[in-house]
Amino acid sequence: MAITVLEIVLSLVILIGLAPLAEGLLRKFKAIIHSRQGPPIIQPYLDIAKLLVKEDLAPTDNWVWRMAPALCLGATVVVALLTPIGGAPAFGFGGDIIVFVYFATLSVVAIILAAFASGNPYAYVGGSREMMMALSVEPVMAIALFVAAIKAHTLTFGGILSHSATSEPSISMAVAGIAFLLALQALVGKLPFDIAEADQEIMGGPFIERSGPGLALFRWAMHARLLIFSAVLVSVFVPWPHVGIRGLSILLTLAKMGVFLTLVGLVDVVNPRLRIDQSMGYYARIVVFVSIGALALAIVGH
Amino acid sequence: MTSAELIRRRRQDVGPAIESVSEPVPGKVRMAVAPGAVVSVAKALYRDHGARFLVTAGIDSREGGNGFEVDHIFSLDKDKIFFILRTSAAAEEPEVPAITPEVPAAAWAERELQDLLGVRVEGLPDGRRLILPDDWPEGVHPLRKDMKYGDWPPLGDENAEESYPWKQAPEGTSTVVIGPYFPVLEEPTQLRLFVDGERVIDCDYRGFYNHRAIEKMGDSELTYNEIPFVSERICGICGFIHSSCYCETAEEAMGIRAPRRARYIRSLMLEIERIHSHLLWTGIAGHILGFDTVLMQTWRMREPLMWLCEKITGNRQTYGMHIIGGVRRDISEECYPEILAVVGKIEQEWIQFYDAVQGDTTLKARLVGVGMLPEETAKEIAVLGPTARGSNWDIDARADHPYAAYDEVPIRVITHPDCDNWARVVVRLEEVLESVRWVREGLKQMPDGPIMASDIPEEVPAGQWGVCTVEAPRGEAIHYVLTGGDNRPDRWRVRAPTYNNLQALPSMIKGETIADVPIILGSMDPCFSCTERVEVVNVRSGEAERLDYQELLARSRAATERLRGRRGGRPWQ
Repeated sequence: MAITVLEIVLSLVILIGLAPLAEGLLRKFKAIIHSRQGPPIIQPYLDIAKLLVKEDLAPTDNWVWRMAPALCLGATVVVALLTPIGGAPAFGFGGDIIVFVYFATLSVVAIILAAFASGNPYAYVGGSREMMMALSVEPVMAIALFVAAIKAHTLTFGGILSHSATSEPSISMAVAGIAFLLALQALVGKLPFDIAEADQEIMGGPFIERSGPGLALFRWAMHARLLIFSAVLVSVFVPWPHVGIRGLSILLTLAKMGVFLTLVGLVDVVNPRLRIDQSMGYYARIVVFVSIGALALAIVGH
Repeated sequence: MTSAELIRRRRQDVGPAIESVSEPVPGKVRMAVAPGAVVSVAKALYRDHGARFLVTAGIDSREGGNGFEVDHIFSLDKDKIFFILRTSAAAEEPEVPAITPEVPAAAWAERELQDLLGVRVEGLPDGRRLILPDDWPEGVHPLRKDMKYGDWPPLGDENAEESYPWKQAPEGTSTVVIGPYFPVLEEPTQLRLFVDGERVIDCDYRGFYNHRAIEKMGDSELTYNEIPFVSERICGICGFIHSSCYCETAEEAMGIRAPRRARYIRSLMLEIERIHSHLLWTGIAGHILGFDTVLMQTWRMREPLMWLCEKITGNRQTYGMHIIGGVRRDISEECYPEILAVVGKIEQEWIQFYDAVQGDTTLKARLVGVGMLPEETAKEIAVLGPTARGSNWDIDARADHPYAAYDEVPIRVITHPDCDNWARVVVRLEEVLESVRWVREGLKQMPDGPIMASDIPEEVPAGQWGVCTVEAPRGEAIHYVLTGGDNRPDRWRVRAPTYNNLQALPSMIKGETIADVPIILGSMDPCFSCTERVEVVNVRSGEAERLDYQELLARSRAATERLRGRRGGRPWQ
C-alpha cells in the first residue's frame, strides 16, 4: 500500500508537477535555435501562477464552459496515473490501456465542448479543428497501443512492460512505435500541428475567450500531455535497456523522454503550420499505411 | 508609341471635346477633356493602349473659378508615358461620370474622390464610404479648401458603425470578422469573411482607420521643403521611397534635377531599404505561418544592415536625407567597404536561406497553388510590385520610368509565372539578391560631385505640375504635385502600392480556407499606414504633459529597473 501511494505521488510529481518545466525547457531550446535568449525555464510556472490569481472572465453562464477546465485537467491527472514511467502505472489494473485512451480523449473533448460553449466564431473554428485533429490522431495512438496489447496478450501497461522485458523486439512493435512517434507531435499540439490554436490565424482558437484560472488549468493540461505521451512512447515502444532497479529505470525513462521531446522541439522549430486538411490527409495516410500495417503484422505474428 | 502619336489618336476620337493639352516634360502629358468624353478616353487608354490606371487626384479649384478638377492618371509603361486625363466639375453640386465600369482599377480612387472632395461620381458600382469614418457627418469633405486643417466637424451618430452598409452574408455562410485588431495585422483593418466551414465564400473590407490627413497637411500647412520629412513618415519601413518620390516629383514640377551623385545616393539608399524591407517581410511571412525560426533568423540577418543605415544617415529608418534638389548627407568613401561587407554578408546568408526555403516541402505545401491571382485579374485590378511580378506581369517603376540613378545603372526586373503565394515569395527572395547586386554596381559607378542642385528657384510659380513613380518594396508609389502659392503645393497626391494591392484581396481569398487568409494577405506585404496616409495627434493638455525622448527613455528604464529589482536580476546596461 505504501508503495502504491509512493508511486501515485511520483507519477503526479513527474507528469503533472514537472510538466511546465518541460515546456520551459522546450521554449529555451526553441530560443537557442532562434538565436535569442529566451524566457527563464520556469516561465510556464510563472505564467500559470499569474493566471491563477487573475480574474476569470466568462462570455457565458453555460455550466459546460465553467466545468471544462477542471474536467480537462482532471482527466489529464487520471491519464497521468495510468501512464507507465519505465514500470507499471501507479493505478494499473486490467484494461488500463482502454481507460488511458478514453481519458486522454476526454481531456480533448473538454476543450472542444468549452470552445463550442463560448459562442465565439474563432473558438468554433478552433473547436472543429481540434475535433478533426482528435479524430485523425487518436486512432493512430489507439492502434499503436493495441498492437502492443496484441503482442503481449494483455490489456494492461504492466503486462506489456513485463512482456517486453522477456521477449525479443518485433517488427510490428517497431512499426507501431514509429506510428506513435509520428502521432506524438500532434498529440502534444506542437508545430506543424498546432492548428487548433493557430494564434496567427484564429487567435488561440478554443482558448480565445479563456482567461485567468480556467486558462491556467487548460495550459497545465496541455503541458502535461508533453510528458504523458512521451512517457508512454518510451515505456512501451523503447523499453531498452531493462534495469531491475525502479529508481534507475525512472531516470532512464526520463532521459529517453528528453531525447524524444528534443526531437519534438526540433520538428516544432523547423516547420511552418500545416492546414487542417493537409494534416488530416497526413494522418489518414499514417493510419492506413503505418498503424494498420503494424496491426496486420502483429496479427500474423511478427 | 510616342506621346505625340497618342495625342493625335485621341484628337481623332474625341477632337472637339479636348479642352487643352500640355506636356511640360517629354512623356508626361495632361489632356483636359469635357466630362462627356472622359469615359471614352479612359476606355481607349485602358483597352486599346494597354494603359495602366494609377490613381485619381481631385483638386478643389473653386477659388480660381474652375470648380473641381479631377485628374485620372494613367501610365503606358512600355512607352514610358504618363497620361493625365483631366476633367472638371461645377463648383455647386459637382459631379463627374465614373470610369470604374470601364477601368475596374479605378474603384477605390473614385470612392475616395467622393469621400474626400465631395465630387459625386455618377455610375459608381460600389459607392459606399471608403475613407471617411462611419460617424463622419454627411456633406463635410476634408480635402475641400474651405475646410481648414485641424477642423473637426461635430460627429454624427456614435452607433454609426452598425449602420455601415456591409455586404450581406450569402445564404448558408457564417461571418468571421478579422480585425480591426488582429495578431498578424500590424496595423488596423477589417475584413469580414463569409465562410462555409473553413472555406471563404466571399468577403468585405473596411479600412482607413489610420488616416492621418497628410495630403491635407501638405497643401495647407507645410512648405515645399518640409514635405520630404513628413512624406517620409507616411511609412515606418519604406518611408524613404515617399520622400524620394516627392522630391523627384517636386523637382520635375520646378524644372530642376538633382546632381548625379545625389541621384546615386538616392538609389543606393532605396536599394538598401528594399533589402531590409524584404528581410522584414520574409520574417513576418514566416511568423504568419507559425514558422518563427524564419522570423528570428531573417531579422538577425537584417540587424547589421539597420546599423549600417544608422551609420550612413543617423537613423535606422526615416533617414531624413532628402531635400528638393538633392540629398542632405554625403556618403564618405570610407563607408564603401563597410557597405560592401554588410550587403555581402547578407547575400551569402540569403543564398543559404533561399536554398533552404526551396527545399522545404511543408512550407511549399502552404504556399504553392494558394492565393491565386491570375495575370488577367492582376492587370484588371492593376496590382503592383512583387504582387504583380509574381503574377508574371513585368512592371517595375525602376525599369519603366527610371528615376534617381536607375537610368544609368539599370535593374533586372524579376517575375515569376506561377501567380500564387509561392511566386510572390520567390520574387521577393530574388529581389534581395538583385538589390545587393545594384548596391555593388551603384557604389562602383558612384560619381563625384555636388549633392545639391545649384539652380533651385527662389520662387516657384503656381500652376506647374509633376508626376513621378518610385518602386517601393511593396510596389510602385506615385506622387503628383501641382504647384500653388504660399511656397506650398496646391495639391499633393500620394498613392502607395498597398492601395491597389488590397483591392485584389477578395479575388485572392475566395475559395481558400480561413487558415490561408493571413498568409495571402501577408503575401502582398500590406502596409496600411501607407495606404491610409496620416494621423492627427491631438495633445489635449498642451506642453505640460508632453514627454520628450530623454524623459520617455528614463521612465521606461525606471520601469524596467523596477521589474528587474523585484526579481533580483542584473541592472540594465
